[in-house]
Amino acid sequence: MQALRTAATGMAAQQLNVEVISNNIANMNTVAFKRQRAEFQDLLYQTLEAAGAQSSDQGTIVPTGVQVGAGVKAGSVYRIATQGTMTQTGNALDLAIDGRGYFQVLLPSGETAYSRAGNFAINDQGQLVTQSGYLIEPAITVPQEATEVTISKSGQVQVKTPGNPVPQTVGNLELATFINEGGLSAQGSNLFLETAASGPPTVGQPGLEGVGELIQGFTEASNVDPVSEITALIVAQRAYEMNSKVISAADNMLGVANQIKS
Amino acid sequence: MENALYVTLSRQMVLRRQMDIVANNIANADTAGFKVESLMEKTDPAAPAVTMGGPNPVKFVSADGVARDFGQGGLNRTDAPLDLALEGQGFFQVQGPDGPRYTRDGRFTLDETGRLVTQKGLPVLDDGGGEIVLDPAEGQLSVAADGTLTQGATRIGKLGVVTFRTLAPLEKTGDNLYRNTSNQQPQPAEAARVRQGMLEGSNVQPIVEITRMIEVSRAYERMTRIMDSTAELSKTAVQRMGRVQ
Repeated sequence: MQALRTAATGMAAQQLNVEVISNNIANMNTVAFKRQRAEFQDLLYQTLEAAGAQSSDQGTIVPTGVQVGAGVKAGSVYRIATQGTMTQTGNALDLAIDGRGYFQVLLPSGETAYSRAGNFAINDQGQLVTQSGYLIEPAITVPQEATEVTISKSGQVQVKTPGNPVPQTVGNLELATFINEGGLSAQGSNLFLETAASGPPTVGQPGLEGVGELIQGFTEASNVDPVSEITALIVAQRAYEMNSKVISAADNMLGVANQIKS
Repeated sequence: MENALYVTLSRQMVLRRQMDIVANNIANADTAGFKVESLMEKTDPAAPAVTMGGPNPVKFVSADGVARDFGQGGLNRTDAPLDLALEGQGFFQVQGPDGPRYTRDGRFTLDETGRLVTQKGLPVLDDGGGEIVLDPAEGQLSVAADGTLTQGATRIGKLGVVTFRTLAPLEKTGDNLYRNTSNQQPQPAEAARVRQGMLEGSNVQPIVEITRMIEVSRAYERMTRIMDSTAELSKTAVQRMGRVQ
């Protein structure tokens, strides 16, 4: 019976939906986290009687066919890359991106990953690193004697050293942008990798040609809206329940068929 | 005598198909732009209810077609700039692998070359039937209610929102897409309004579907009862006749 399998696809889809929603809620306070959404599409249709088929040799056609659908499937899990709100931290090494763009992070494997989480730190050699200790590209080294680090909106990193009233430039941060940000592949630890779907990165100076600006002393909060996530969770749970009702009704019909007396 | 069995069997077959359709409606209750369906039934063969003098013909139940309710689904706010919902009669036009397809599912995205595509990567078409290419560096995309696309202050084009004189020949091909099976040409949909940052939910009404499910399941049981009593009847008849002899 098709109804049994159709309802099972509905339950599987809602299960995925709950998994995505719970991940969003779990990452509500993750810096620069982007909420995700499970996308559903209807499955193939079995055409039992085709619309438009000739119903007589007078040229009359069947106005509506009989098509029975096979249920639902998860098309993709789509990342909604809208701007998160800015949270003031006062830390000189916290950077938020206002607009498009990703920081470039050099992975230990030599690959470049991309991240919007700008809660940086300095390692034992004075280099600017992520919370996992991975180097930021282009490399920025803050001298040991520096007393103050200033990062401008356009990414210029300047330090003040004792006995020198003029700040010195130690490097320029650059941001990478992608045509299709939704196509980046998430690697965990707030890192993303380039894919064929995202397109190649375009590296540019912050604040120019549509690239976002940097804001020092702030981090970007996640764009998860708890109220809409909880609402979506309730809807998903009820939809799951409804599909299970269909399974028991279809099962009941089969049971009745089995009890027919011969 | 045995005809009663076949009539109830034909009803049961139709009920099973109806259950399949109800299950598909419920499974897609959360699918964007999904339109609810129901099975139409007919008496087969179509014959007059009263035949003058002659025997009443035996009639069966058979499926007559699937009716699709193209009514508006509720709009949900998502705030994603490439989520578009249609309000009123109309379809987005997308380029399928073999000809145009029509959809009301407006969850669009950009591909690696900047084309506006569906979740399956099919390009969305403008009013002239061409692809829509955006450059994210030009700024936020804004979509007007009539489908005009603007980025910054530049007009990029206009979404191809179309409709048909009659929607019945549209065939579902899965992935929320419809295919035109007749020779009618798509017309620009004047009445449709495009809403940006919103999605059209399905127009499935859970209560209606659950009620229909209960109805189908009870009707199926009822048919079984009739089958049972028909079998009982012939059994009793055979026994009685045996006694007379």
